[in-house]
Amino acid sequence: MRKSMTYALAAGALMGFVSLSSAQAADASASMLADTCNGCHGPDGVSQGPAAPTIAGMNKFYLVESMKAYKAGTNRKSSIMQRIAKGYTDSEVEAIAGYFSAKKFGRVAMQNTDAGAASKGQAIAKDLCESCHEKEGYAAEDYPVLAGQMMPYLKNNLMDFKSGDRSIDNNPNMSDKEKRKKKRALEDLMAKHGDDGMAAVLNFYASRK
Amino acid sequence: MSKMNRRNFLKAGAATGAVLAAPSLANAGSHGGKHGKIVIVGGGVAGATTARYLKIGNAELDVTLIEPKASYHTCFMSNEVLEGSRKLSQIEQSYDGLKSMGVKVVKDSVKSIDAKGKKVMTAGGSTFGYDRCVVAPGIDFKVDGFADVGDFSMITHAWKAGPQTATLRKQLEAMPDGGTFCIVAPPNPFRCPPGPYERASLVANYFMHHKPKSKVVIIDRKDKFSKMGLFTGAWKNLYGYGTDKSIIEWRSAASTGGIDSISAKDMTVETLANGKEKFDVINYIPAQKAGNIAATAGLTDAKGWCPVDKTTFESKMHAGVHVLGDASVATKMPKSGYAANSQGKVCAAAIVALMAGKEVGTPSYVNTCYSIAGDDYGFSVAAVYKYNAEKDIIAGVKGAGGLTPGDASAEMRRREVEFAYSWYNNICKDTWG
Ligand SMILES: Cc1cc2nc3c(=O)[nH]c(=O)nc-3n(C[C@H](O)[C@H](O)[C@H](O)COP(=O)(O)OP(=O)(O)OC[C@H]3O[C@@H](n4cnc5c(N)ncnc54)[C@H](O)[C@@H]3O)c2cc1C
Repeated sequence: MRKSMTYALAAGALMGFVSLSSAQAADASASMLADTCNGCHGPDGVSQGPAAPTIAGMNKFYLVESMKAYKAGTNRKSSIMQRIAKGYTDSEVEAIAGYFSAKKFGRVAMQNTDAGAASKGQAIAKDLCESCHEKEGYAAEDYPVLAGQMMPYLKNNLMDFKSGDRSIDNNPNMSDKEKRKKKRALEDLMAKHGDDGMAAVLNFYASRK
Repeated sequence: MSKMNRRNFLKAGAATGAVLAAPSLANAGSHGGKHGKIVIVGGGVAGATTARYLKIGNAELDVTLIEPKASYHTCFMSNEVLEGSRKLSQIEQSYDGLKSMGVKVVKDSVKSIDAKGKKVMTAGGSTFGYDRCVVAPGIDFKVDGFADVGDFSMITHAWKAGPQTATLRKQLEAMPDGGTFCIVAPPNPFRCPPGPYERASLVANYFMHHKPKSKVVIIDRKDKFSKMGLFTGAWKNLYGYGTDKSIIEWRSAASTGGIDSISAKDMTVETLANGKEKFDVINYIPAQKAGNIAATAGLTDAKGWCPVDKTTFESKMHAGVHVLGDASVATKMPKSGYAANSQGKVCAAAIVALMAGKEVGTPSYVNTCYSIAGDDYGFSVAAVYKYNAEKDIIAGVKGAGGLTPGDASAEMRRREVEFAYSWYNNICKDTWG
């Protein structure tokens, strides 16, 4: 191996090339890895919409957890992320998550939200969501940022919680207490407020500037 | 190869490799600014991404991008323009974003490249010296002896988006209900392997809603194609494929025995099996090669594509010149927009390092390609890649990537369309700013 690289180096020198990179694989840098995500999630992880989520400014552990969940495919279904996540080692996932969590969550996409629904949603969210998704969903400390996230993305995930495709029970990163709390909030949302209430909450979070 | 070995190697290399690093250091700044001058040929996906990421990597670099068009029309989503669900202006990208980052955008066409003298000459008569040149001209067409299509004004290719897309859309709109639209699909390798089949799908969707007696016939120059199972599955679900009512008919190369002539004069395609057939509209996508400037500059191999170091995209023909995007041989990445965008970042990072006299880092690449087959009906292929030095290929990470499952739920297919639109908005922002 070492011999073949010396050879590659010598050949490179003969041909006047300056690239040293025919040598093999150290880990790619965090920015090199993360930049490949921007094609779908937007520059620096800030999505232009309409559906792919912004991943900038998210809690690092949440990003790691999400990638691991996609990779394992047990508690979080997806259209494409379960295929992509399998392409990265745990340390690469750490690097990518660290990179995007240090970026600023941008709210740049033009989202069509309904002001009336949003204000109705504000009251529901205050009652049911605020104790975890604090500061009207702007907080990123313990749970993912919801404020200004893409509405179709939020909707898809709410549907997945409802159907079990995004399983709360199988989430290894939640305590039993957290699971009970989250399930109760979702049940209350559906039972007390129905589809209109769900739409209102989605409008509320998506409309945050 | 462990990381340890790599480090030792680089340390050793740093001593003996002083000669190697020297040229780049000596050249840095010799053509512009103290950080070096980069000239980029072509403001498509690969060229524009490289320009943007060079500036992100080192804002002090002097970056010039030469592109003949005042604005760029993306090929991606151009099939929706043909379908009628998107306007041409909705696939137009301006160069203002690049300009605002300090990229010098020059509206001109490159005529020749002097790799020894490190300069680029344009049709407009200007000369640009460079420390590193990036060539990203996309594709041009091979002359298929059997085709008599003149300047593609009657029979379009619409494989570079813009006026050709507009012409083909007009022809489809003018076509009577009950007419037949023929797509001649190219041989491998070509830009966007699923593209012709997405086009067939979306035109079929337009016919179904607006001209239900019309048909799409694909005369292929291959016997199989990208995402074939997913496309034919979609055609069965949406367009009656496999029945005598099918809107889409696909003919393999084996079934036609090959094409003998294509004529714009009488709008015919002649194959061995079917003789001369008249169509109302013909879309002929020719065999392809790297954009012409690549051959002029001596960057191509015998097959007409540009061999490169796959970790830096530096040409294997000329030092100091990088080639990427559709024009390059980036096996096993497909010729796609996502691939061109991903390669632009790898190339930019390599150039930023080289210009600073630093070692080039390890590359990482991704491709994700969505196809829309009808209303709320999308699917995708994805791959995460690493460079494999032993085989000299950009190899997909095993166990990752792949296609949307054939039995994906209707909801998943709907979401893939949503994500395809998100991909479009995000990759355009990531490429042109
Ligand atoms: C119908 C269709 C659908 C597609 N859909 C998708 C999709 O869904 N997803 C996807 O990832 N990819 C898709 N693609 C593929 C994608 O468009 C290409 O892979 C991508 O554009 C390649 O980028 P490039 O920079 O190599 O070439 P281009 O984007 O073609 O850019 C080349 C640029 O170089 C300029 N140029 C050429 N010669 C010169 C010269 N001498 N001097 C100066 N400038 C020059 C040209 O004007 C052009 O602007 C599709 C393609 C088609 C045709």
